[in-house]
Amino acid sequence: MATLGAPVRVSPLIKFGRWTALVTGILYGRSHFNSLKAKEAVIREEETKKQAIRDAQLAEEKLKNNKQEMIYLAGEAGVKVPPNF
Amino acid sequence: MSKLIARIPVLAKSAVDSATPKLNTFMRYAKVELVPPTPAEVGGVAQGFNNIMKSAQTGAWKNIPVKDAWRNVLVTTEVLCWFFIGECIGKGTFVGYQV
Repeated sequence: MATLGAPVRVSPLIKFGRWTALVTGILYGRSHFNSLKAKEAVIREEETKKQAIRDAQLAEEKLKNNKQEMIYLAGEAGVKVPPNF
Repeated sequence: MSKLIARIPVLAKSAVDSATPKLNTFMRYAKVELVPPTPAEVGGVAQGFNNIMKSAQTGAWKNIPVKDAWRNVLVTTEVLCWFFIGECIGKGTFVGYQV
């Protein structure tokens, strides 16, 4: 920067506007963040509950499919299926 | 390794020495331009606001030069941008809210 010149005397309205905007922004940012965090906590709790149920369902289906696949493979391979499978 | 550690205070001192004049220049401008308005300037705030209102009412805003109008637009945009800077400070990150 070659020559910066003398410092400018900024109008009070502009200074007031800048600082008000900064402070309002900080307050708004903090309050919005807190409200979003509260909402996310509720959603996260519901999701963990649903996830537990979903995991149980998926495990059950997987077991069932596994069993059916084994029976099919036994049929293809010519292996006899034991009676209590 | 011990030589590297021995060089750290020398480097720190040289960094401070090279930054001090720039810092001084910054402080010289900041003390005049960036300080918040003192209580004595509250009258100036009301006056400036009244000027804007009067110019809006009388239609004098249509007669200012384009250069001045453009400067006003830029200053207004800058003032509004401080709100977003404040929002970033309040929420803690630059992009997005880390909930």
